Amino acid sequence: MNGESVVFWVSGTFAVVGALGMVVSKKAVHSALWVAFAMVNIAVLYFALEAPFLGTTQIIVYTGAVMMLFLFVLMIVGVDSSDSLLETIKGQRLLASLFALTFGGVIVASIASTLSSPSAGLAIANAGYGGHLQAIGFLVFGTYLFAFEALSALLITAALGAMVLAHNERWTPRKTQDQLQKERTFSNHVTPLPAPGVLARNNSVDTPALLPDGTTSIESLPNAFRGEGQVSKSNSIEEAGK
Amino acid sequence: MKVSVEYQALAPIIILLASGVLSVLVEAFIPRTLRRPIQLMLVLASIVLAFAYVVINATAELAGDPLVNGGQVKGLRELAASGSIAIDGPGMVIQGIILLISFVAALLLAERQIDPQGDAFASRSSTLPGSEDERQFTAQGWLQTEIWPLYLFCVGGLLLFPVSNDFLTMFVALEVFSLPLYLIASMARRRRLLSQEAALKYFILGAFSSAFFLFGAALIYAATSSVNFSTVAVAMENSSQDGLIIPGIGMIAVGLLFKVGAVPFHQWVPDVYQGSPTPLTAFMSAATKVAAFGALLRVFYVAFGGMRWDWRPMMWVVAVLSMVIGSLLAVTQTDMKRMLAFSSVAHTGFILLGVISTSAAGLSSTLFYLLAYGFTSVGVFAIVGLVRDASGEATHLSQWAGLGKKSPWIATIFALFLLALAGIPLTSGFTGKFAVFTAAIDGGATPLVIVAVVASAVAAFFYARVIVLMFFTEPPVDGPSVVVPSALTTVAIGTSAAFTVLLGIAPQPVLDLVINAGLFIR
Amino acid sequence: MNPNNYLILAAILFTIGVYGVLVRRNAIIVFMSVELMLNAANLAFVAAARNTGTLDGLVIAFFVMVVAAAEVVVGLAIIVTIFRTRRSASIDEASLMKY
Repeated sequence: MNGESVVFWVSGTFAVVGALGMVVSKKAVHSALWVAFAMVNIAVLYFALEAPFLGTTQIIVYTGAVMMLFLFVLMIVGVDSSDSLLETIKGQRLLASLFALTFGGVIVASIASTLSSPSAGLAIANAGYGGHLQAIGFLVFGTYLFAFEALSALLITAALGAMVLAHNERWTPRKTQDQLQKERTFSNHVTPLPAPGVLARNNSVDTPALLPDGTTSIESLPNAFRGEGQVSKSNSIEEAGK
Repeated sequence: MKVSVEYQALAPIIILLASGVLSVLVEAFIPRTLRRPIQLMLVLASIVLAFAYVVINATAELAGDPLVNGGQVKGLRELAASGSIAIDGPGMVIQGIILLISFVAALLLAERQIDPQGDAFASRSSTLPGSEDERQFTAQGWLQTEIWPLYLFCVGGLLLFPVSNDFLTMFVALEVFSLPLYLIASMARRRRLLSQEAALKYFILGAFSSAFFLFGAALIYAATSSVNFSTVAVAMENSSQDGLIIPGIGMIAVGLLFKVGAVPFHQWVPDVYQGSPTPLTAFMSAATKVAAFGALLRVFYVAFGGMRWDWRPMMWVVAVLSMVIGSLLAVTQTDMKRMLAFSSVAHTGFILLGVISTSAAGLSSTLFYLLAYGFTSVGVFAIVGLVRDASGEATHLSQWAGLGKKSPWIATIFALFLLALAGIPLTSGFTGKFAVFTAAIDGGATPLVIVAVVASAVAAFFYARVIVLMFFTEPPVDGPSVVVPSALTTVAIGTSAAFTVLLGIAPQPVLDLVINAGLFIR
Repeated sequence: MNPNNYLILAAILFTIGVYGVLVRRNAIIVFMSVELMLNAANLAFVAAARNTGTLDGLVIAFFVMVVAAAEVVVGLAIIVTIFRTRRSASIDEASLMKY
């Protein structure tokens, strides 16, 4: 058993374990970590397959960028979002398993039945271009130049799409410093507004400050907490005294 | 090692992608109120310019084999960009069809008079539906002009897809036109939740199928050591690795059949057609289908042409299923957009008949069918967008009752499109079906043609049902009304109707065109 | 070692991805499964490149990574938008339209 076989069997097994881990994990975060694990192992296989450039790119792009983006989105959506493993369509899981087994079985069997010639290796192909990176560079900027250029359209689309769907614009003009200053000068509060929780029993952000006469000041709360039923009630001096 | 790019041959694609970039710059630097007219002019101008280049390329007088036709060859036939793109007769015909449809669909996308609030897209799709922000943006008349750069990239990808001559370029083109479609599909002004769900389904299933395409390409590459169609075709002739080639062909077929919406890969079609903004549905149902069939034809005629005895049985099954299931499910629908979506699935089956023929006649009849179907489909969805009530489009079939009495003109044109979809003589649909069926019989697929004729009869039933509903029932009391659109939609519907009639009564010039387009180059 | 082993490994990973897409309900996990399928295709390309002694497969795998990155951005943008609208990432709840 040579070195390559060892790498193949170890990393290959890990990759499959990672993939299976993703499918069976209940929590999305665990799935993401399992996939990242599988992808690192696939990168190791790339190194074994004489493709160090791709192995590096795989780690940078997939585990470094793509899976991290997944994790960011999981943070937005809620890390706890666990998946209900209940079936909603009856028998769907059984059918899916049967389908996957048949599909995988057919593909694997038909690949296995193919006569394989010994691996040609990349040494000769690399030498034709004067080195591995030179070869990849020539193919990217030569043979596949047009596809490469079209990829730029794809990247612009992705950036534009993310902006369109996620970036909120203002519908009112932004106030200038001048305007803000005038507003404040001519309002009833020249001095700064009290912070939430001043003189009250607790200082959480939903607790309005108490004014000298013992009443609460709704202005001390951030806008988001001024709504009906959101203001904490048990904070007046009378209640504190009880 | 010198790299050459054939700018003349690639001009249509380059024009569209470059205008897409320009259009992004317009978004960045032009004041908001000026963006819509500038974007619209940019889009229409670039489509016209690209179309002009397609015509120039297709009619160019070139020096050819001195023994044939006095040494004169008409139209480009060359492998461009190091062999990764093939500009040839059928490819240019398909590019021309896509550009014509894109022009008409751009008019529909720009329509602003149908909805009192603006165009068919959300004022800002980043705002939550029903929120104060959304109300304010709508009241101030904001428009999501970012759809235009996305649209230009999409059309550019569509132009590249059917002329790609290797699996990599084809995969990239597939994604270049798909991603903008996913995005625009989620931006409907009305019923945005439905539209976002449509986008999610489209996206997940689209990514799923493109992964199949890619793995299939990997298997083909493992067997033939190339992804270039010309090389693959040669290598397959004397390859002993059927264990890689057959699953490879199957998985590539899955990816492409998904894009054309053939059964059993059609589940996304009704949901996406129903949920997307209607002008986009009009564009998708026509242009995407044309481009995807163009790519399907090229892959299966050029790369897998030598293996036709292996893939034809599979295509037979898919064609029969598409025709039968598409027609039967269309009968059971109560929503106009869903019914038309299933009818489009059935049409996919009919077009597959032309693909299965694997002959020159099969190729030319498929091209003709694509042109005819494309325009009818754009027209039909354009009219669906006009019938509205207070909450938006009225797509339930019962709401269409008695439309012929309220708006005889629109109802008559709609009936014309439905008759064309059913394949009644004197419409483009009949000529197209006749051409495809003839080619299929010549290609030895008579049983398929019998199934197709039966399916057409079933399909004629549900088209006739709608016509009866429109003209021979009383309108409901509080039914929807037909909105009077601006010149943009009127021109779009008029063009589609004109093509539908002209291709029905005088199809010969176009038939000559598609026959003269010749075969794919290798 | 039989060079086709890599292809078989890729096919197994691909199948697991297919299974994940079919049985999982969370849109994000479904999407991860699709990414796994793309990775499997990449592995097949790289393995085939060495088996056949050509470099095209490596370049294709490289391009696929770029495509996948762009696809992830668009897909996650759509998922986040739906989440903000519905406060949920389950594809079952995304079913206003009936099958």
